[in-house]
Amino acid sequence: MTKDSSGDVRLSGISKTYGAFTAVHPLDLTVPQGSFFALLGASGCGKTTTLRMIAGLEEPSGGTVSLGEQDVTNLPPYKRPVNTVFQSYALFPHLDIFENVAFGLRRRGIKSVKKQVEDMLELVQLGEQARKKPHQLSGGQQQRVAVARALINHPKVLLLDEPLGALDLKLRRQMQLELKRIQTEVGITFVHVTHDQEEAMTMADTVAVMNAGRVEQLGSPADLYENPRTTFVANFLGTSNFIEAEVDTRSGDEIVLRAGGGKLVLPGARCSAPAAVGGKVLVGVRPEKISLTHADEAGGIPEGRNRITGRIADSSFIGVSTQYVVDSPVCPEFEVYAQNIDRDPRLVPGAEVVLHWNPAHTFGLDAAQSLLAGTTGSAGIETVAEEAAR
Amino acid sequence: MALVRWFKRHLVVIAGLLTLGYLLLPNIVVTVFSFNNPKGRFNYEWQEFSTEAWTDPCGVADMCGSLSLSLRIAAWATVGATVLGTMIAFALVRYRFRARGAVNSLIFLPMAMPEVVMAASLLTLFLNLGAQLGFWTILIAHIMFCLSFVVTAVKARVMSMDPRLEQAAQDLYAGPVQTFLRVTLPIAAPGIAAGALLAFALSFDDFIITNFNAGSTVTFPMFVWGSAQRGTPVQINVIGTAMFIVAVLFVLAGMVIGNRRNRQKA
Repeated sequence: MTKDSSGDVRLSGISKTYGAFTAVHPLDLTVPQGSFFALLGASGCGKTTTLRMIAGLEEPSGGTVSLGEQDVTNLPPYKRPVNTVFQSYALFPHLDIFENVAFGLRRRGIKSVKKQVEDMLELVQLGEQARKKPHQLSGGQQQRVAVARALINHPKVLLLDEPLGALDLKLRRQMQLELKRIQTEVGITFVHVTHDQEEAMTMADTVAVMNAGRVEQLGSPADLYENPRTTFVANFLGTSNFIEAEVDTRSGDEIVLRAGGGKLVLPGARCSAPAAVGGKVLVGVRPEKISLTHADEAGGIPEGRNRITGRIADSSFIGVSTQYVVDSPVCPEFEVYAQNIDRDPRLVPGAEVVLHWNPAHTFGLDAAQSLLAGTTGSAGIETVAEEAAR
Repeated sequence: MALVRWFKRHLVVIAGLLTLGYLLLPNIVVTVFSFNNPKGRFNYEWQEFSTEAWTDPCGVADMCGSLSLSLRIAAWATVGATVLGTMIAFALVRYRFRARGAVNSLIFLPMAMPEVVMAASLLTLFLNLGAQLGFWTILIAHIMFCLSFVVTAVKARVMSMDPRLEQAAQDLYAGPVQTFLRVTLPIAAPGIAAGALLAFALSFDDFIITNFNAGSTVTFPMFVWGSAQRGTPVQINVIGTAMFIVAVLFVLAGMVIGNRRNRQKA
């Protein structure tokens, strides 16, 4: 089977500098035809700049952009077969909804646009609103107009620049599913820029996590979540616990580590650090993979599980789960999420506990990096910097 | 007590009406005296009702000639100042160039400078250039001082415009010319129209600068000034009233159109 590759987006060595500031370091990226691709990162990480270089709205300082077999690096935006859904939509205020959606068709000299526009407005459920002006619609409706205005041109690639940023939470969830549905229906390549990790994971087939102008890691949402290769990715996607450990022995596919007084086992394939014997490794584990057992019953824990001891410092009940913060000699503020199936009434702040988990859920990272990279404190929500960059 | 309470409740309306009266009183006087039949040459005292001046508005020698000259100058000055001013405004808002700051402040100078100073220096300039005073010198002077008003009006509009709208147009296959005609210009239009109206009004009733630089040419404001020395024909009031009515009609038409558009939207 020959796969259609006319909608591939290929970035080769693309970069962007503003004076002394490098917004995007030389970047190679291929987005296959028909996929839903997300560029995920905090404010100012270069994701929007990358998107705008694909659209042609930003001139790259180096490298090339190709769509399928065609090198479009030197084409102006109005000659590229891509369309963009802008942040805050950029609907034309002086034109009604119908004319907004028809804009692209008319500019390409297509005469009979009525049928197409009406069909497209039906697709986004706005048939009734055709003669209204953009400011008379709600945020969610405007967002759908922006999508319709871009999709009607059957672009090879649809670029979405934080398209859901201005919507409230409930509407955002709804539009996420809606966009995913539309993408599946039309089969066009979507490149989606967002700072919301949940949004990226819900919608995209492949996610590229960007940080400071570089792609930190690229993969499927599950792969990124389960096998983060840097603390930035581990923290930016969900929450992670880290333990600094020393490599004790290495036997075949297993690495045995020493942390505090205890031993932890890490599968060799899940360690992205060199891990020479005697070297340091950051051991990571997700809070929901951990089981919590009261110290009195520690004997009942099956053999072969990684275990550390600690004392519960705090617990908060949030319905589906209870979130514990455990103080442990190897790691202060260890986070544990326990499903509320059988709650042990002894697990209250102050209780001595044993934390244990399947070694297969452990991942190993290079110890020479900040534990806090990618946490909310260091990488806030999309705000001023990115706005100013426009 | 009831009276005091009524007064308190309607204080804003009463103040508004008084202000309006203060503004409109001169216009009312002009209108009333356009129906006067004065004895002698001065139209300052009410004598008797007459429609003579309205039936023969051009009955005074040279007046309609000066009026049409003023309208022509105002029209061309509007066109010139609007085209140039719009381009300057776009340049100032959209581009970063070396003398941008200086141009930005210099453009306000004609507004700030006393008119009589500007008039005198322009005359000096024209005389030194050996220019023949008349229609063209007036037009050049008018475009010059109308420019700053147009720039100010258009600049405000362009500044509030989202540059992403033009990017969106480009993204939707509109080349630079199409983007300007289909998106930029329609969105900037209210600012440009405001600037144009201002330019027309300023040019039409300018007296000082025109008087200095007109040579032997006589515009309408100059005609009114000149005739006031020798006696004021009723026809001046007729023209004044007519202009007032035309302006009011324009405003009313604008309101009606605006209302209808709003009602359609709702």
